[in-house]
Amino acid sequence: MAQHHVPSLSDTKTTLDGLGGRVFAVSAAVGVLGLAATLVLGLAEGDGLRRFGYSYLVNYAFFLSISLGALFFVPIQYVTKASWSIVVRRLAEVMAAALPVMAVLAVPVILLASQVYGWAEPAARSDPLLAHKAAYLSPLWFTVRWVIYFALWTWLAVTFWRRSVAQDTSGDLGITRKLENLSGFALLVYALTVAAAAFDLLMSVDFVWFSTMFGVYYFAGGLVAFYAVLTLVTMGLQNTGRLTRIVSAEHFHDYGKLMFAFTFFWGYIAFSQYMLYWYANIPEETYWYLARSREGWGKLGLVILFAAFVLPFAGLISRYAKRNRPMLAFWAGWLVAAQWLNLYWVVMPDFSARFVFGAMDVTAFLGVGGVWLATVTRLAMGASLVPVRDPRLGDSLRFENA
Amino acid sequence: MAANRDAGRVYGLLTEFESPSALVAAVRQVRDAGFRHWDVHTPFPIHGMDEAMGIRGTRLPFLILGGGITGLGLATLMQWWMNAVDYPFAISGKPLFGLPANIPVMFELTVLFSAFAAFFGMWGLNGMPKLYHPLFTSRRFRRATQDRFFIVIEARDPQFDAGRTREFLASLGGSVVEAVGESAED
Repeated sequence: MAQHHVPSLSDTKTTLDGLGGRVFAVSAAVGVLGLAATLVLGLAEGDGLRRFGYSYLVNYAFFLSISLGALFFVPIQYVTKASWSIVVRRLAEVMAAALPVMAVLAVPVILLASQVYGWAEPAARSDPLLAHKAAYLSPLWFTVRWVIYFALWTWLAVTFWRRSVAQDTSGDLGITRKLENLSGFALLVYALTVAAAAFDLLMSVDFVWFSTMFGVYYFAGGLVAFYAVLTLVTMGLQNTGRLTRIVSAEHFHDYGKLMFAFTFFWGYIAFSQYMLYWYANIPEETYWYLARSREGWGKLGLVILFAAFVLPFAGLISRYAKRNRPMLAFWAGWLVAAQWLNLYWVVMPDFSARFVFGAMDVTAFLGVGGVWLATVTRLAMGASLVPVRDPRLGDSLRFENA
Repeated sequence: MAANRDAGRVYGLLTEFESPSALVAAVRQVRDAGFRHWDVHTPFPIHGMDEAMGIRGTRLPFLILGGGITGLGLATLMQWWMNAVDYPFAISGKPLFGLPANIPVMFELTVLFSAFAAFFGMWGLNGMPKLYHPLFTSRRFRRATQDRFFIVIEARDPQFDAGRTREFLASLGGSVVEAVGESAED
């Protein structure tokens, strides 16, 4: 209403300028050094890069899930004609637009398939349990599928990002309309490809086990991580004097709601998956959870139950927590760590029946994460951090939770 | 100060505004004057009104939390009693009380009792159902659902004084100050 001071874009800084160059240089250096260190450590292991392959897979899947979370967020804003999110939508657009670089980072996963994926080991070819899946789980078809996923994701991510940036100068309302028309179809493509990609990337590490819920499990966890990273990135930018005032406690309140909602959604999905196997008690299904409840993995599973669900659920439930900046930052950082642990717990028990954690897991995190952040920063440097001529920008600046 | 002859029978004083912006400015003054039993009536929600009125957070979330914990406890207790104590019956080799099997019902009853607490708690805190309200006696007040904005200060407010409060309301810039009776005969 008129009695409130509505912030305007001139109240704050909306470009990265010098900061972008510095963040890009540091994160690119960390990324390259991290990947190099991981490779050196992996070669020193003398196991044909098997340990390297697993460490890399965990961290690759983690950062991929954040970009995929962004690729979900952007079309959702268009399909619902949301206005609250316009001031922060560009941040999600660039995170999604990093997907072509994630395609390049997928190469080691494909090259090392025979070290990581049970079905790609030559010895598994004669396994009767693989016989009826062999046509699908073949190295060639696996590679072709990744090409298809990344072709579709790149097309969507780049379309939403480029058109939105183009609108900054043209102010063309037709762009908003075109993207709204595309958004429904984009979400359909997204749902099918992300579910299939989750089967390929993580579930097929063990070719015997299967869960129809697994695609949603990966998607839900990735979305939690994405909202948490978006919160931290927004706060980080504000700490350098960018996006101040125009992104208010009202927007952070919505971040908090989304983190809370998807934390619960993830917990719901994770439990639904677990309970059906627990109840049916069929050996070729339960052994997956059995392997993850022994030799240290069970303790990690309990940690994840509390870290990724119980504690953030209690911590984020109140309106106060969602609008309190330090508290929200704490839970955002916490959830990033919790979702990383979850992927570690999903992948690593197939590498070792006994709990393991090593320097390679840290260097691979820094390596993939550094390249990811450098890419996102580079993309964000080319344009304003806010879609300045989006028709709903005014509503977003005025936004208040009722 | 001599007690007003009508103090027991007057519900309160209302004043009328024609625009939300005039209303909000006046609302801030009423808040700052320290009144406690008063309210604002508008044809549509006005953003920033809670802040202008100085309304503190509702207690409802705590009621809902209580409802949720009650539902969770009840569901756990019920399933434990029925499956493990009163009629123990082993199904497919599962423990008589195995937590995973009971979680869906624990979840459902938590949600159900939270929803009950939210719905009925909202009624209770708002004093509903209420079929009669003294403001219904004012013809002028009917336009609160159309195109007029009202501030009402109740007579039970500790600061209320028929004369001075009337002067105070008149000073806020509304078009009129009207006394509202407790009942239609007044």
